[in-house]
Amino acid sequence: MNHNEVKNVDYGFRLSGKPILLYQDRSLAADESTHHMEKALRQMSMEYYTLERCLQCGICSSYCPVHLLKANESFSPRSFIQKTRLGLLDLSGDELWMCTNCGHCQMVCPFEIPLLDVMASLRHLIVEQGAGHVPVSIKSSIASIASFGNPWKEEPANRVKWIQESGISQSLGTEETPIYLFLGCFTGYDRRARQTAEAAMHILQTARIPFKIMAEEEVCCGDTVRRVGDFSTSEKVRKINRDIFLKNHVKQLYVFSPHCFNAFQDMFVKEPECEIQVVPLLELIFDLLHQGLIKLNTYQNTRVTFHDPCFFSKHRGIIDLPRQILDSMTGIERVEMEHYGKNSLCCGGGGGGIWRDIKKGERLSEIRLDEAINCGADILVTSCPYCLSMLEDAGKGDEKYRDIEIMDIFELIGKGIRDENN
Amino acid sequence: MDKKTTNSKVMIVGGGISGLMAALSLDSLGIGSIIVEKSPNLGGKVKEYSQVFPDFRSGKNITKELIDRVKQTSRILTLVSTTATSMEQYDGGFSVATSDSNRHDVGAIIVACGFDVFDARRQEEYGYGVYPNVINSLELESLLGAHETRGGKLLRPSDGKPVDRLAIIFCVGSRSKRLGNPYCSRICCSYSTKQAIEIMEMNPDASVTCFYMDIRTYDRGFEEMYQYAQELGVKYIRGRVSECSALPNGDIQVRAENTLLGRPVQGVFELVSLSVGMMPCPDAENIARLLDIERSKDGFFTRKDSYFYPHDTNREGIFLAGTVTGLKPIKDCLTEATAVGSRVAAYLNGK
Repeated sequence: MNHNEVKNVDYGFRLSGKPILLYQDRSLAADESTHHMEKALRQMSMEYYTLERCLQCGICSSYCPVHLLKANESFSPRSFIQKTRLGLLDLSGDELWMCTNCGHCQMVCPFEIPLLDVMASLRHLIVEQGAGHVPVSIKSSIASIASFGNPWKEEPANRVKWIQESGISQSLGTEETPIYLFLGCFTGYDRRARQTAEAAMHILQTARIPFKIMAEEEVCCGDTVRRVGDFSTSEKVRKINRDIFLKNHVKQLYVFSPHCFNAFQDMFVKEPECEIQVVPLLELIFDLLHQGLIKLNTYQNTRVTFHDPCFFSKHRGIIDLPRQILDSMTGIERVEMEHYGKNSLCCGGGGGGIWRDIKKGERLSEIRLDEAINCGADILVTSCPYCLSMLEDAGKGDEKYRDIEIMDIFELIGKGIRDENN
Repeated sequence: MDKKTTNSKVMIVGGGISGLMAALSLDSLGIGSIIVEKSPNLGGKVKEYSQVFPDFRSGKNITKELIDRVKQTSRILTLVSTTATSMEQYDGGFSVATSDSNRHDVGAIIVACGFDVFDARRQEEYGYGVYPNVINSLELESLLGAHETRGGKLLRPSDGKPVDRLAIIFCVGSRSKRLGNPYCSRICCSYSTKQAIEIMEMNPDASVTCFYMDIRTYDRGFEEMYQYAQELGVKYIRGRVSECSALPNGDIQVRAENTLLGRPVQGVFELVSLSVGMMPCPDAENIARLLDIERSKDGFFTRKDSYFYPHDTNREGIFLAGTVTGLKPIKDCLTEATAVGSRVAAYLNGK
């Protein structure tokens, strides 16, 4: 088609034996192939249509945490939309996998473009229809969820075995109906995240709340796997979980992770007959503290900052609750980082980021740790297993971050429980 | 100002939609008028438009309706292929000589001579007038008007090949100090978008790429039209085209910078349409001299007071309507032409 193609011209200048190209055409081609690419996206993805509304104002890019990192300067939601609309998006590249689904872009978009749905839909084209490149680590996580129900090819039995081994009793032998807890993969298998669950269960025991975990049966909530584009696996695990909940006559389901919370909130909206109320465990524990069912010791002048999980703050507006908990604890001074609440910065773990291998020095969680140090916090508290893992990984082995402690809010509470029996 | 003009007829210079509407407005107030039109037909530029934005009404039908209404009344005299040659003012009116060797005594004059399109040959880098497949927007408009007879696809001028890949270049001859037109022509974004929509609607497989600097779809319904165009798959690339060059098969290669990506972009198109901007009417200088009225630096006529006397010139008894005071879409021209009727009626009544 392009008969006037400009060839790389060597004018004969040589520098230490190397020819120097004086003119190299690096322009993008708006040709038939890009036209077909754009048409194909248009036909395959309903969500694509929302991109048409984009005026390219760029407010999204100024908030996008991925764009903040020097290593990712080339990525911005605005140029992503521009490229997609012109059929210039490189499906074999990394660009589509950079988004961590923090949702800041769609929160500020004047035209309410659901960019996360678009991302999921485009990733879906690649993952399920093989239209491009999927990072290896994401591929293997997806495959594992499809066959093992968790991202790490772990034995389903191991999801709950550690609880039995740790000697935590779930029912306390009472006649009362227990509440149902959904562990989630991270809390089920990750050594560090298990500690947060232990802390939470210890809190429940102290408040004499009987609980039941369906962990032998439960599988991945399907949130992240949906966000990386594998809709059918997400649907598959959703159905398995739904059937388990129905079998157990679950009316109220308490979840550890904001990601599971999101997944079930959205999924049960689709099935009105499945009347299950999904509540973050954080809410229950707030109530227990509020009702005085848990008594806490006085902390020793500790400055604590809260890292908002995006799936609580930006996606569901849960911002004050964890702060109220911190404020109710004597001896704890709450300090805020530069970005907090709805404006909080992502840890980099969402939207499949947790499954990607990102080099040290290019991680969003590092920005977050810097902010925590800058605000003078002794402890960085969060309430999401992804955030906890991302933040701890960033801090590991770095002198700079030696003095800051990273923990889950349940652990902070658990540590302070006053044992009334003593 | 309680002198009453002795002659209550009004001369209207220009038989486009503004002139016609001004005559109808005067007619509705019982005032007669004479329309002097240089070309052989009434209706001006709008009669050439296959469809107008944002509601896709036929330009032909709009002018036809105006002309029909004008013909129904005996108070409006229309003189086509005629120009005003001289004007003398006497107490209470003007005496205007026309090229048909007549003399008309009138109480007021309305200048509604319209605009001209930019001559795209002046922007040499686009090759208009050199490459047959670089056309201007008026030519695209007439191709669009003719498409029904040509089987639902545009056929390009050089070899009659059906066009699937078209580029539209915005702001040709507008917003350029170098070319002496620093202003925005206001309607090009919208009419180009309208043309893009028409092409996509008749040929959904077409690829229409618009190169723009800013999208200025400012009025009610215009922005929605722009969004609709994007929904149809019209591609918008922000950046001023640096050059068009013809390939041996007649296709046109277009180069620009995609300023939103900060990278050069190039494409090959079967047809390129230049969305030319608007200029003052070529006769404006003559008319200004003939009637002794002022023009501004940009070549458009000067209003006496753009807030309180938007239709008045610096000279009493001579009024303005339509695009002679700056570019405006069809509906605005008609509104202004309707309003000038009441302004002139008040003047003739000595108010």
